[in-house]
Amino acid sequence: MKAIRVQHTGGPEVMELGEVPLPQPKPTEAVVKVSVAGVNSIDGHFRDGSLRTPLPFIPGQEGAGVVSAVGARAKTVKVGDRVAWSGVLGSYAEFVVSPEEHLVPVPANVTDEQAAAAMMHGLTAHYLANDAHKLKAGETALVHAAAGGVGLLLVQMARAIGARVIGTASSEEKARLAREAGAEEVIVFTQQDFEVEVKRLTGGKGVDVVYDGVGKATFEKNLNVLRPRGMLVLYGMSSGPVPPVDPAKLSEKGSLYMARTTLAHFTATREELLARTGALFAMIGDGKLKVRIAKTYPLAEAAQAHRDMEARKIAGKLLLTL
Amino acid sequence: MELVELPVPEPKASEAVVKLAASGVNFIDVYFREGRYKAPLPLVLGQEGAGVVTAVGSDVRSVKNGDRVAWSGPLGAYAEYAAMPADRLVPIPSGVTDQQAASAMLQGMTAHYLSHDTYPLKRGETALVHAAAGGVGLLLTQMAHNIGARVIATVSTDEKAKLAREAGADEVILYTQSDFEVETKRLTGGKGVDVVYDSVGKTTFEKGLNVLRPRGMMVLFGGSSGAVPPFDLIGLSQKGSLYVTRPSLLNYIASREELVARSGAVFGMIAAGKLKLRIDHKYPLAEAQRAHRELEGRKTTGKLLLIP
Repeated sequence: MKAIRVQHTGGPEVMELGEVPLPQPKPTEAVVKVSVAGVNSIDGHFRDGSLRTPLPFIPGQEGAGVVSAVGARAKTVKVGDRVAWSGVLGSYAEFVVSPEEHLVPVPANVTDEQAAAAMMHGLTAHYLANDAHKLKAGETALVHAAAGGVGLLLVQMARAIGARVIGTASSEEKARLAREAGAEEVIVFTQQDFEVEVKRLTGGKGVDVVYDGVGKATFEKNLNVLRPRGMLVLYGMSSGPVPPVDPAKLSEKGSLYMARTTLAHFTATREELLARTGALFAMIGDGKLKVRIAKTYPLAEAAQAHRDMEARKIAGKLLLTL
Repeated sequence: MELVELPVPEPKASEAVVKLAASGVNFIDVYFREGRYKAPLPLVLGQEGAGVVTAVGSDVRSVKNGDRVAWSGPLGAYAEYAAMPADRLVPIPSGVTDQQAASAMLQGMTAHYLSHDTYPLKRGETALVHAAAGGVGLLLTQMAHNIGARVIATVSTDEKAKLAREAGADEVILYTQSDFEVETKRLTGGKGVDVVYDSVGKTTFEKGLNVLRPRGMMVLFGGSSGAVPPFDLIGLSQKGSLYVTRPSLLNYIASREELVARSGAVFGMIAAGKLKLRIDHKYPLAEAQRAHRELEGRKTTGKLLLIP
């Protein structure tokens, strides 16, 4: 089968299209014929070696397709099922092998592109809005990078719940996207201080929750824009890791809460994974959640997709199609 | 600390004067006495009390002469009379004595917000309560037990273990004899607890994170062993998308509405016999020095009161 292989870590050019043997399922695994693979920043981290995995490897963590073979003891999926997944390394290929419990069914009214595009970012947005902090109608949320992959989906979900969303974005163009997604106010943080603006927009009261995938650059000011007993949810660190935190700060700033979350802990059981993807796909199928697919590339152009992703010029999801 | 004669205070427009029946003695009083916490000198210590209103300022509507009231927060309770902001005074119901009210304001409301708001405990959940035989600990253990949560308690001695069990702790770990991390993991079948209530701080914080279930919450509400040093956030995600909060009572009684609701809930528990206070140490006002010495010497269990 054709697959993108990484023989040694480095820039986008280390990703080469090649022929590799078709994977065979172990007893509780399934093989999926990949229709669409999602491109994520974590793929770049594995490619350049900042996250480690044994070499050579096939990149890609996310996708959608059709089950083509199952192991002898597989019970949850069967050949012919339309499925999607995230967290399965090897998705930049014609076929991928996965533990069967990581595969979730895709309903008929959700396309492969939508499913592949929504797994990581959509599930992340869903746990942030519903579990990491359970948003309620009438609450105010600050969403950093509101035009980013998670941001655009999180803004829509927060709006659907009835919360007020203040977003931050780096440019007027991205601010427009965030507004279209439902952000009531968008702060272009390259032009305005988000701390000053958030205080002004909330009449000095502060927000109920801050959703932050940015990390180092935003951390200190986040603590200043939360209401007493408000919650800071850190789900990523795109600007670098936050230095160690003095817990006394949390009391000084008003009995604040802080969480550092990752998707794996919010899809830990098969039951939770199915419930969360089911809710997500229902929103997409009903047209309540728009997944912005910015560009699709043939598998052979994976390197270009990484170049575009890392240039941060394209807002929305990048996909590889097979 | 010296006993002196002072004029009876006159209420400002928004104040009420209370004739004290009992004043609570708390560690925070020691910090003000030492100067670790600052207040203009000379000062009348004491941040918790109960008594009867004897005079009110012209703008006061929330209390009137003759009302039995209690408070925590403003300084000045080690005295026969104290002028207090009227909106910080809460009514004491008839089923609660002045001494009970004075004992319950700070520690009782703390135990209440911890178990009902900071992390609203639910029936069937498991909480680890450090220093469970301490002032807040004994009340928190009772409230958690009454909610239907399982309480794993840590204490330093057999005598304190007995007190924690009487308060409703299901399991008690003598941390001087066994490692609470190992024991808590064993007692939860490796799953970890839903919440850790930690007033000890420096010596317990890191291990506390290790005994939380994924998505569990660390509630750090004091630092009797010293301040927790800055901690790395990546540990919170690696240990299971954990939550940390560092609450203080002020943020949980910020509005008059919340203060009255919270004190009312605590008094309701006392009147119904569901919350037992240990008032084992009463001193005449003139013996405030002795009260502080015994508190600092950790010779006491339960509440210390000064009786004017």
